[in-house]
Amino acid sequence: MLFLQQLINGLTSGSLYALIAVGYTVVYGIVQLINFAHGEVFMIGAFGSLAVWTIFFQGQTSILILIPMLLGAVAASVGVAVLMERFAYRPLRHAPRLAPLITAIGVSVSLQEIVRLFYPGAKSPLPYPQIDYVSGTALQLGDITLRRSAIFTVGALVVSAVFLWWFINRTKLGRGMQAVSQDPDTARLMGINVDRVIVVAFALGALLAGIAGVAQGLQTNSISQIMGFTAGLKAFTAAVLGGIGNVAGAVVGGLVLGVAESLATQFIPGAFGGTPWKDVWAFVLLIVVLVFRPQGLLGARVVDRA
Amino acid sequence: MSTVSTPTQIAPTPGYHPSRIDGLREQHGRLAWLLVLTGLVVLAAGCFLSWSYDPEILGNLSISFNPGSLQLFMLTAAVLALVYALAYRGPLRGLGVWIDSAKALMVLGIGALGFMAITLAVVAVTSSGLINIDPGGWVSLVGSLVLAVGGSLLERRPTKDTLHAQLPAWVEIGTIVVLMAMLLFGAAYALGQTDGNIFGLFLVFVVAVAWSLFAAGFFTWLGIVAQRHRRVLMLGAFAVAFLFPFTQNGSDANMSIATQVLIFAATALGLNIVVGLAGLLDLGYIAFLGAGAYTAATLSTSAFATIGWKPPFLVVVLLGAIVAATLGLIIGTPTLRVSGDYLAIVTLAFGEIFRLSMSNLDGNNGPDLTHGPNGIPAIPDLQIGSFNFGDEHTILGFSLGRFANYYFVLLVLALVIITVFSRLNNSRIGRGWVAIREDEKAAEAMGVNVFGLKLFAFASGAFLAGMAGTVKAHQDVSVTPDQYVFLESAFLLAAVVLGGMGTVAGVFIGATILKLLPEKLRFISDYRLLIFGVLLVLMMRVRPEGIIASQRRQLEFHEEDEALAERIEEVHLEEEAQT
Repeated sequence: MLFLQQLINGLTSGSLYALIAVGYTVVYGIVQLINFAHGEVFMIGAFGSLAVWTIFFQGQTSILILIPMLLGAVAASVGVAVLMERFAYRPLRHAPRLAPLITAIGVSVSLQEIVRLFYPGAKSPLPYPQIDYVSGTALQLGDITLRRSAIFTVGALVVSAVFLWWFINRTKLGRGMQAVSQDPDTARLMGINVDRVIVVAFALGALLAGIAGVAQGLQTNSISQIMGFTAGLKAFTAAVLGGIGNVAGAVVGGLVLGVAESLATQFIPGAFGGTPWKDVWAFVLLIVVLVFRPQGLLGARVVDRA
Repeated sequence: MSTVSTPTQIAPTPGYHPSRIDGLREQHGRLAWLLVLTGLVVLAAGCFLSWSYDPEILGNLSISFNPGSLQLFMLTAAVLALVYALAYRGPLRGLGVWIDSAKALMVLGIGALGFMAITLAVVAVTSSGLINIDPGGWVSLVGSLVLAVGGSLLERRPTKDTLHAQLPAWVEIGTIVVLMAMLLFGAAYALGQTDGNIFGLFLVFVVAVAWSLFAAGFFTWLGIVAQRHRRVLMLGAFAVAFLFPFTQNGSDANMSIATQVLIFAATALGLNIVVGLAGLLDLGYIAFLGAGAYTAATLSTSAFATIGWKPPFLVVVLLGAIVAATLGLIIGTPTLRVSGDYLAIVTLAFGEIFRLSMSNLDGNNGPDLTHGPNGIPAIPDLQIGSFNFGDEHTILGFSLGRFANYYFVLLVLALVIITVFSRLNNSRIGRGWVAIREDEKAAEAMGVNVFGLKLFAFASGAFLAGMAGTVKAHQDVSVTPDQYVFLESAFLLAAVVLGGMGTVAGVFIGATILKLLPEKLRFISDYRLLIFGVLLVLMMRVRPEGIIASQRRQLEFHEEDEALAERIEEVHLEEEAQT
């Protein structure tokens, strides 16, 4: 029973990691850039949805509000991601690799600070609204506790994964993305607008990160400007775990990481088990994976152009 | 810079593109020069008049014919402008061949204009109204405007490469000494300012002057001279740093900032070995500083120390460094095989593991080693022989407080790190690092021990940071996990990137900017991080190689710059001819 409970907890946090991890993997697959500020895109999404709620629906709890809130989250995170690509990363596309990475740190710090300084009341964590059916008392199935927000998160991942699969394999843009990630120069010769594909990759990652932002808000009932850092790092771990550049890998990696984390909390005996060490085990897993299987579980889909 | 010269070729200034303003420049060449002269005379004249009705604002600027400090800045700028103007046309023509005086005048003019505009704005705001600006202020503002316009309209002339300027050695050494003295007094003056506005304006002035000297090509020449007289420069810089505490009259407030800057700079220098020389991006470097600090704390005589053994401090320094280096080896051995981006994230994860472990080892979750989030407080001051670092000591009539004592220890430490850094840089190891940084596969094919050298860079960087950490523990009195968050690693990296990767001077400048400015400019303290983030982004776009970059590094960021490549080749050949 304990095992099943931890499995469910793990799948819940894993779904969240997976939603964010897709953003890292899509962008990395196409431009070989670790978009370090992606965790902040996720955070902005959460604040976007909160803003929609505070401005238009203050005090209401109807489930229907979730739709505009999701839209607000997605709009905020996609907007930020596209601006970020245009003004911070695009000018550096041919610079040495150190430059975009440092820019990413700069963008990340700036975004956190902009939210902290200019979002009303964001200097301390803000409470996230309660929504009917998706937050509130947990469901009891025998001995197992199932939180409503967990159902929402896993559901969001399933829907997003189906959408992603359809988008990447069935649409023209998605196939363009595949082509660019395999060989950008040839793709350009074939008439693919590489700039546009890169923007779409950023936007696609941000879309899922925005949804993840809402899911996180519902799970923890409060959001703050620093929530993107650890979540982003975990999601990157997930992306590497699954094989960076590989979209299916990001989803699998997220779930595996989440489950491994919560099983470690429960089943590592002695003083080094327990919640305080959860993050440590996640990062240890990252290091172990990079050492023994740098291409990840499902294999990285990145051409080494170094 | 004027005398004897080898045959030289005159090359157009790099990065020069003809535009519409060139037409204007051709038509109004003579007029522009007269404009410049008029502008600087008017600017200087304004400085002798009163700027502000209220004597309380920005020091006293209200007495005519008795220039206050800000007015003296502008007078200095006017004198410098006069030198440029006479170098452009007049008795200093010999100097004008070497320096781009037109561009320098433009930059200086714009800088002076900015300075005047901010000054007048501050006067108007703090004394409620433009009415409180006295005529002198307006006169100087107009003067600086005319100077800026004149400077922009001057026709640009090609200059000779200062690499070929040959001056007697005493002139070159003299320049270094004078610059060092100016640095000492400038630093003492700036730190003595309690008024944030005056401090800020002083910075504007310094930046304007430095930028104009840069535009004139002075710093390129200085770089060559500095290379030629490396020893003198090192000695001079050390003398300045050594004398600095004696300018403080026993006040510990500024020394506290200075020690923070030094610790930060020393750590950043260690990081510069890893990032600047070997090209490995380490985002968890603060963990090594933390390892040193925690080692010193647990071995100290603090009542909260968790290890019974109390070795003398020198042993602790070594132990802290060894612990840090061992951590470096443990994290480096498996991860250095992965490529750059991965390494950055792995080191980041490692930094987090370190911080989380330190805050978890509190007795409830694992052994009690660090007292968890509370850390180890009440670490006593250092005591070497009968010399206690917490007490005030009087040397030659100068009293030196607690922070001044630590300052001297840190200075020695910084010296050690600088020596290690430059020795490594100029050795076979350093050349190996350059090779790895530029092309790892080619380096490996050439027989460079890639893995070994990378690991060595990692471990030596960690070793130096560990040393700095042991001093930091005593100076800060307590060690807590939240001093070693990721943001601190980012700050260290920013100091390296901002100042210039792979150079010592650059790192010191970067560290000073990042630590000193927030302390002095309290009014921006809430926006400190935001400014920091934006600065990083802008820096990567505008000048990714940093303020003072090593030329080779500069070339890596500007691969298309043929002139720079030739220049490096030439310097290289010259160096080889000497040896």
